[in-house]
Amino acid sequence: MRILVLILLPWLAIFLQSTIFSFYSIKGTTPDLLLVFVTFFALFNTAKKGSGYAFFCGLLEDLYMGRFIGLNALSKGLTAYIVGRVQGNVFKENIFVGVLGVLVATALNSLFLFLISIMVFDVFHIDTGMLHHILYQAIYNTIVAIPLYIWYYNSSNSGVLRTPGRV
Amino acid sequence: MFKLFKSKFFWLLLLVIVISLVVMNATATQRNNITFLEKVIRDTYVPLQGGASSLRNNWDGWTAVFSDKRHMHQQIKLLEAQNSQLALENQSLQEYKLESIRLRRMLNFDNANRENYDLLPAHLIARSPNNWYECITIDRGSRQGVEKGMPVISPNGLVGRVGSVSENSAQVSLITDREMAVGAIIQKTRETNGIVEGLGDSNQLRMINIPYYSKIKKDDRIISSGLSAIYPPGINIGTVTEVSPEPNGLLLVAMIKPAVDFNKLEEVFVITGYHPVEGFEVEEE
Repeated sequence: MRILVLILLPWLAIFLQSTIFSFYSIKGTTPDLLLVFVTFFALFNTAKKGSGYAFFCGLLEDLYMGRFIGLNALSKGLTAYIVGRVQGNVFKENIFVGVLGVLVATALNSLFLFLISIMVFDVFHIDTGMLHHILYQAIYNTIVAIPLYIWYYNSSNSGVLRTPGRV
Repeated sequence: MFKLFKSKFFWLLLLVIVISLVVMNATATQRNNITFLEKVIRDTYVPLQGGASSLRNNWDGWTAVFSDKRHMHQQIKLLEAQNSQLALENQSLQEYKLESIRLRRMLNFDNANRENYDLLPAHLIARSPNNWYECITIDRGSRQGVEKGMPVISPNGLVGRVGSVSENSAQVSLITDREMAVGAIIQKTRETNGIVEGLGDSNQLRMINIPYYSKIKKDDRIISSGLSAIYPPGINIGTVTEVSPEPNGLLLVAMIKPAVDFNKLEEVFVITGYHPVEGFEVEEE
């Protein structure tokens, strides 16, 4: 059941991002629910598992978009790896850890996207419009992270996302 | 350091990064066809996205059921539909009018008008799930005759072109996407051949390659030039909001407000074919 939910979560996130959230975007910006889930997964698991799951989620997004396949997979994978590396040193019961984690992950993911794009394609030109998008997305992600972290925390402790064999 | 080289995870990570970069490079350029896996993934979303889009479109209608405004709402919908139709016709007529004036001045009339489009109506069912690409998904795919590269318009003007197609849906790259470029001219004077490019912002386009001597000015209407093989000539792109010189001083750059409100886009038309109008004759004055 846990595996099924973990597979369905990114699928559902893409559906919500491409419909409800994009129809009601704020200043043309939609939240990155995939990144939010990936951050939470990395926080509650190891860096290796987190980066693997993030790579899968990013790949699904890339395959849906059909362009630059591997770009989101790689940026999300690397972001989750960094988040996963620090997860052992943070107090996950505190909601601010999840929220701050999403904020940092948004910045890291944007940075990786820029670096990979500039390195491989030289297509993304940093302009003020893009920086606004990142800023709005960071705020949007942080806001949606609050209820989602509560759900994720409860689910991973005593709900559907609880790791089998965990006490 | 050597401990790192002995780690299986390190080598796996390196392999994944290399493979990703190779695949990224291979899929960065325009592909003729998307893979079977991509088609399957997209088509799994189509029914749900179509449902969500219908729900959104009908939301106003549902709320109006409980109010006296229902009749008024229907009237508005009807008038909006008529208005869209008229706007589309008006766009064509504007072109005919200007073309007619030009042709009357010419001795040798070359029939270059290609405004006879085969239009396939389609509904917008989804937008880009991330903020880096400006694209939409429509509910018409290869099964309905949509092909990659076909131009997409709305009654107000140019929307973009089909980027990739699955069985029951197609992804349309909007002209506001950073990778899009359209050959354009000023409708009134026809004197400037520039390139309109997307900025990744749904409210703004930029026209480049405008010679310094161009008479382009604010409020000029910009239309497709037809020089590219993709877009037919005469499709409304937008209106000039600002003109400024480029740093080198040899060229001008103009900011364009798109004719289409991409945030309110619900229905579009795919141009599945366009041909010269036959039998179009100009009477002698």
